[in-house]
Amino acid sequence: MAPARKKHGSSKPYIIPGGFTELSLQFSSDSAARHKLYVKEHRVRAEKSSRRPLDRTLFVLNIPPYCSKAVVRELFSQFGGVQSVELREHPGSFQDSEPKLSKFFKPAEKQGFKVGYIVFQNSSSVTAAKSHSHNSPLVVSTEQRPVKTGVQKWIQQYKESFIQPNKLQQIVDSFMAGYDKRKEEEAERQRKEGEQQQEDEEGWVKVTRGHKGTKARPHSEAANRRTLQKEMKKKKRKELMNFYTWQHRNTQKLHIAELRKKFEEDKQRIALLRAQRKFRPY
Amino acid sequence: MKKKQAVAEDTEKMFASDASHEEEEGEAPVKAKRSRSEEAGGEEQVYRPVKLSRSDLYRPPTVEELNQLKEAESLFHCSLLKMQMEELLKEVALSDNRKRQIDSFIQTLTKLLQTVPDSPEVEVSDLSWLAVKVPFLLVPKTTKGKFHMAPPTSVDLIGSYPLGTCTKPRVVVDLAVTIPANVLHPKDVLNQRYPRKRALYLAGLAQYLASSSDIGTMRYSCLNGNRLRPTLLLTPPDISSFSVRIHACPSPGFFKPSRFHPQRNNVRTEWYTGLQTPQSESSEPPTPHYNSSVLGDLLPRAHQQFLSAVSTQCSAFADGVALLKVWLRQRGLDQGTGCFNGFLASMLFAYLLTTHKVSNTMTAYQLLRNSLNFLASTDITVNGISLSKDPDSTAPSLADFHNAFQVVFVDPSGHLNMCADMTACTYKQLQHEASVSMQFWDNPTVDGFHSLLMTSKPMIRTSDHVFQLCELVKLQSSCKKLNLLSELMDHSGNYVQTALPFLLSLLQQGLGQRILLLTHSLSPDPEWSVDSEAPKHKAQPPLSFGLLLRPELAISVLERGPPADSPKAAEFRRLWGSRSELRRFQDGAITEAVVWEGESICQKRLVPKQIITHLLQLHADIPPSSLRYVGAMVDDVIRTGSEVSSTGEEESLQVVQSYDDLSRKLWRLEGLPLSITAVQGAHPVLRYTQVFPPVPLKLDYSFFEREKTSRSLIPKEDKPCPAYITPITVICHMEGSGKWPHDRLAIRHIRTAFHICLGELLKKHHNYTCRPCPTHLDVWKDGLLFRIQVAYHREPQVLRESVNAEGLLVVRDNEEAQALEMATIHKPLLTSTLHGLQQEHPCFGAVCRLAKRWLGAQLFSDDITEDTADLLVASLFLQPAPFTPPGSPQVGFLRFLHLLSSFDWRNNPLVVNLNNQLTAADYIEIKNDFMASRESLPVMFIATPKDKKVSMWTKRAPSVQLLHRVVMVAAESLKVLEHQLMDASQIQDVRVVMRPPLDVYDVLIHLNPKQVPLLSQAVDLPALNFSRGAMTDGVSQSGGALPVVDYNPVSLYLMELRDAFGDFALFFCDPYGGTVIAVLWKPKAFISMPFKTSQVSARSVEVTGEEANTVPNVEAILEDFRIMGQGLVKSVEARTERWSF
Repeated sequence: MAPARKKHGSSKPYIIPGGFTELSLQFSSDSAARHKLYVKEHRVRAEKSSRRPLDRTLFVLNIPPYCSKAVVRELFSQFGGVQSVELREHPGSFQDSEPKLSKFFKPAEKQGFKVGYIVFQNSSSVTAAKSHSHNSPLVVSTEQRPVKTGVQKWIQQYKESFIQPNKLQQIVDSFMAGYDKRKEEEAERQRKEGEQQQEDEEGWVKVTRGHKGTKARPHSEAANRRTLQKEMKKKKRKELMNFYTWQHRNTQKLHIAELRKKFEEDKQRIALLRAQRKFRPY
Repeated sequence: MKKKQAVAEDTEKMFASDASHEEEEGEAPVKAKRSRSEEAGGEEQVYRPVKLSRSDLYRPPTVEELNQLKEAESLFHCSLLKMQMEELLKEVALSDNRKRQIDSFIQTLTKLLQTVPDSPEVEVSDLSWLAVKVPFLLVPKTTKGKFHMAPPTSVDLIGSYPLGTCTKPRVVVDLAVTIPANVLHPKDVLNQRYPRKRALYLAGLAQYLASSSDIGTMRYSCLNGNRLRPTLLLTPPDISSFSVRIHACPSPGFFKPSRFHPQRNNVRTEWYTGLQTPQSESSEPPTPHYNSSVLGDLLPRAHQQFLSAVSTQCSAFADGVALLKVWLRQRGLDQGTGCFNGFLASMLFAYLLTTHKVSNTMTAYQLLRNSLNFLASTDITVNGISLSKDPDSTAPSLADFHNAFQVVFVDPSGHLNMCADMTACTYKQLQHEASVSMQFWDNPTVDGFHSLLMTSKPMIRTSDHVFQLCELVKLQSSCKKLNLLSELMDHSGNYVQTALPFLLSLLQQGLGQRILLLTHSLSPDPEWSVDSEAPKHKAQPPLSFGLLLRPELAISVLERGPPADSPKAAEFRRLWGSRSELRRFQDGAITEAVVWEGESICQKRLVPKQIITHLLQLHADIPPSSLRYVGAMVDDVIRTGSEVSSTGEEESLQVVQSYDDLSRKLWRLEGLPLSITAVQGAHPVLRYTQVFPPVPLKLDYSFFEREKTSRSLIPKEDKPCPAYITPITVICHMEGSGKWPHDRLAIRHIRTAFHICLGELLKKHHNYTCRPCPTHLDVWKDGLLFRIQVAYHREPQVLRESVNAEGLLVVRDNEEAQALEMATIHKPLLTSTLHGLQQEHPCFGAVCRLAKRWLGAQLFSDDITEDTADLLVASLFLQPAPFTPPGSPQVGFLRFLHLLSSFDWRNNPLVVNLNNQLTAADYIEIKNDFMASRESLPVMFIATPKDKKVSMWTKRAPSVQLLHRVVMVAAESLKVLEHQLMDASQIQDVRVVMRPPLDVYDVLIHLNPKQVPLLSQAVDLPALNFSRGAMTDGVSQSGGALPVVDYNPVSLYLMELRDAFGDFALFFCDPYGGTVIAVLWKPKAFISMPFKTSQVSARSVEVTGEEANTVPNVEAILEDFRIMGQGLVKSVEARTERWSF
């Protein structure tokens, strides 16, 4: 840490192998220790989502837990206008998950170190960030925009956790309305698919390879298993047990083998206990 | 303290060697897998499923093999036990090498003894010729007669060694030295003349042997604590593994046995008291104990012959005796005054053999079983047994013996009662132990061998309450008070042994139905050097008494006596003295009664203490100051600080009542879209096991800020953290219906709708303040907060289902579903089951609370969770063998520590048979499943009827390293605590075991007590307390603004720390008012790693050439500790000297 800082010039960016630029970050101007952020332009072979334009997105590693989206936006706005900030636990491709939920229904997020994808308005901001001097740290909490941590933050959180029952009811209602709508659409689609399977006026049935609505195969894993078991049972019922002499002999042989195994196990158990001195009473 | 440090260092090593392979003990299951390759060369200690080759398994069997296998199959349970016993016998038997050493030493000793020179005749009272001290208390001083030394007429081996029943440890070889006839006089039986001459003879031998170089150490002792029968203990110069005990005895038949009839007097009052009170011989009081101790010296050779004759007939005799000796030793019955020693064990076997209760061909296993059965079923305090076949006419009858002694077991000669010194209580204890052993022996669900022979039962862990008489001198005055002069004479001045039987019967009478069993410690045989005077009678450890309580009767505050006009009333009044008073009862009866103090359960638990103190003071002049009652010393740590001291039973009950009321109200609610099918509590307080049950609070509104829109209170930043209000979880199951959606998110929303609806109804009908959330509904009722969670029984199933790419519906278990099942199904079930257990065993809850307090204080409560701890304690009650279910919190806590520290977690599952649902077959199945997949199962495996295979309560934690540490700390705590409880001279502070050793940890985060809401629950009461906006006095009301609920900065902080730095360190904290968070670095995280985008959190890069490696940015992490806990953290103490990276 310390020697590394000395090696490099005071106002040059510090680039490590792998192409990341090291930026330092401190909580407030008087804190002694600094975290190191590692930034690089976002570059992947195939970016499907339009949310992370390749030329304007900065990929940031190691963002401390007390930096929220707003704080990060504020921190990086010194390099140029920020369009959006995305914070994640692990690097990975963008997923648009599930219908939009209100914050009260989202599971609690882990408050750990994050990686960030910062989309600037101009691509020049990315280069600006990358060439930022290693020696002038970013400061999280300043007098103009203090960041709350500790007791203050928890009280704030507690305050924000309240929601009026009628507002909550509204959220629930709107979600359920959406859900019902989706349900209906689904039913409608299924009905249509079903209709297609019916004979038309001329007596033709349209056969599709479609995976939905196929009745020939049981539809769930459990049902699959049940059918298999039924088959097995049928087979078993037909089988004769201990009927022929060789079968009888075989069962006996198996029984003795079983006993032998048990005996060996017991012997080993005792040997093990002896080795552990489990028989010394005092 | 030194020891403690050593332990700490050990653990440190353990903690540090996380990644290293150096741990030689195979107890680390996770590690075992990894280190198997290294270990394979060395010795194997790990159990693995047997793999036999095909040819081995299927080769044609021989006839013998077939028979052997069949036998093992049919006797499986028993044969395993048999094999174990055989192994045990090998452990306790003397090795050949040891025997050779003994034989050669005995030879040299015999030679030496035969060359004892003669000495001139002197008066008995003249001790000037002796350079060593006489092993005798010369009270009164005067003795007539002459004495001289002469070589012994014979030297013989007697006792266990020649019989082959001698066992390790404490190998003692008995050697009888015959005093020549001309030294003694037939009249010497009178007035302790013979015992004194015998002591002089021993002193003479000691003086002679002292000059020899073949003798190592030499000490005096006395046989079974009988001061009339001193012995000389010798060890060879360089070996200390055995000792030789020299008994001096007269030649057989020197005294006439008829002189020692229990009705005869051999110590004259005139001589003993020194007062001239002429009495005729007939009016002198009998001296049975004195008589039997002299007679005992006459008979050892005859007994030896008898026993060797019996043992030659029965091949398993020696092994049987050895087993019984081990059994007795584990129960502390084989040593000390009035013990049931190895000699009596041999005699008992001889009795069983001669009366054909057992046959000569039986094995040691059967002999032990039959002897225990005999002991359990025969009460020789009432019906004595005798070995003599045809007693001569002068021999006393059994009735004579019963008049003089409490326990009667007559020797083959018919003259001697071998159990003369034993108290009835000791025999009752023996009987109790035997019957308990018989009970669990056959129970296939108990590890019989272990409980029978391997578990030691010290009094403090066996008895529910223990008390000690510290100043034994006080017993002298009780002898006076109880008017026991003649008995004192009989016991030749040993006032402890004289008073003991009387005290015991007094206590037995006073405690009556409250106790199942009264036991007492056996005073150990004194040992002293040949150069010092014989120790006084009081110079022995304090006498301890143990009570086994009857839980339902022990705590009653009323002792109801006979009606005032009945003749028994006088006796009742005599027993209780001034405490007895006339009382009129509700049924109209007017009777004598005694009422003891006690309001709360914890005070009532000490009613036996009040009784004992009162009785001993009234009848035996023993002041309360010399009585040390060890019944509820540990309970202090869970005491709640209200005006009536209580250990939480009352508070729990109050919560449960309030919960019942709420539950009833929920059932009655109308207007819900679906009906409620079940309301279940899922919080420890609802099974009485919450360490500090929530107390109804009344709020001081001025202390808080108000949130206007939602009518709730908010903590103020500048004030101390408000009092913590525990949410009490209640699960409310809703009826299943087609209306429920089949989608996880939709279910979540519907549940929320139910919370809102329930809240509105409760507000409307009962005016409770409610706060609905998506996950729960908080209800503020009677100053308590209930957190209602609506559950839908098909939700876990919905969470498990998913449709894969081919449109197939797959059911896959996942963590979310498991967590939900845990919360809505398993926890409520456990709560109700344990609630039932509490009804059966009233102190279950208190034991749980003590155990959890300890776990919390030692910073383990995050790894051994509340539910795990409750299950562990439940196992103590459900499977107490070899003990009985704990009857007081303290003994339960001690056994909890013992269970934690001694259970073999590596090789055994702990089966908790809740509701007795598991059968023997289930046990075998559990064990087999466990063995087959040990490596993949949790380190601490607890099986219950509902959970036989996965041990869901311990799946997440503890880890191997932590369990290891828990085991060590528990063992150390147990040792310290037992020591302290049994020894009054130690520092009396039970909180020592609740103070964790903090020197193992790398960083300590000290918290600001102002922001720790549970500060008042800390082990050591804090110096200053903060006002936290709550008033305990006054009736709390429902309604009003919602208080600050479930707001605990410490746990919020811990959660953030673990989220952010869980990869770097472990965080420990006492949840009950701990003001320090201990941090332990994970060594693995501090290894330098190559730069990877997924692993740079809180790390910094170091560049060496072309490579970029990352190491933790420790400085910044420490800074973050401070930043994230602003306002809560007082200081961060980094102990850099401990860090090793």
